Amino acid sequence: MESTYIVIPAQNESSTINGVVTKAKKFGSVIVVDDGSKDNTGSAASDATVLTHITNLGKGAALRTGCDFAIKKGATKIVVIDADTQHNPQDIPRFLQTLKNHDVVLGYRKRSKSMPSVLRFGNGVINTMTKILYGIDVKDTQCGFRAFTATAYKKIRWDATNYSMESEMIANIGRHKLSFGEVPIETVYADRYKGTTIIDGIKIVLNLMWWRIKR
Amino acid sequence: MAALLGIQILGGFFGAFMAYYTFLHYKRKEITLKEYSFWIVLWFTFLAVTIMPRLLDPVVKTLNLARTMDFFIILGFMFLIGTIFYTYLLVRKNQKRLENIVRKVAMDKPNKKQ
Repeated sequence: MESTYIVIPAQNESSTINGVVTKAKKFGSVIVVDDGSKDNTGSAASDATVLTHITNLGKGAALRTGCDFAIKKGATKIVVIDADTQHNPQDIPRFLQTLKNHDVVLGYRKRSKSMPSVLRFGNGVINTMTKILYGIDVKDTQCGFRAFTATAYKKIRWDATNYSMESEMIANIGRHKLSFGEVPIETVYADRYKGTTIIDGIKIVLNLMWWRIKR
Repeated sequence: MAALLGIQILGGFFGAFMAYYTFLHYKRKEITLKEYSFWIVLWFTFLAVTIMPRLLDPVVKTLNLARTMDFFIILGFMFLIGTIFYTYLLVRKNQKRLENIVRKVAMDKPNKKQ
């Protein structure tokens, strides 16, 4: 029997998490990983299974905890989505539809002026590096809205605890020659100071090179 | 024995203070007897060569170094780099341990509301 789990990593998202959970639960069981929040993110996530990291470990670690737990609960499909309303849970059915023909589905943000220019530049650099190093042409390597099958998860499971996990996942897709589809999504940038920083971007590029050597 | 230089007095005070500090932590049972022995031997050796740098003359001569001070600086840098690397390994190990514990606690105690 098909069992879809939606995993949402969250840190200090008490104002938005409930809205995301309410919309997402229509499409599967929701797991929120409260990654050491200082506010009441965990208790605000009503109608979800909340896993609590007693201290902040990073997005990669939070997602891994959530996905491992989903697998333990018998998930056959996993969707990962951000907690800050940047992604619209209403897009989940399109991901699941595309997942019928692929191992992994990657969301990509449409180019718009609302995307901060530093993010647009950094994303371009990382996308190009991914193409050169792994031969994979991905429209948006840093988009956190993704879906994959349980079988694929075992192959793409990442070690990175930070924002490098998105790139590591793509590197693992290339390594295991998994098939992937891409789905365009609308993105709202609610907070310009959250998410990947320039330092994260540099770390991601260095990691991409290291994973290529290690391959 | 020649009159002590300012740097030797400074080094002497440093060595003595570090030996006392090590002793204090041993008495507070924060380090084991083995760790205490290692550090106390290290500080007393440091004290001895600070006050009597001539002890190192054979080593300095063998290594073709101009001054005992150069030997101290090289040795100090080597010790520092080694300690930094050791600390780095320790931090990484503890980071991994912490990650495993936090993830295990989270998965063992889900707060299920549905």
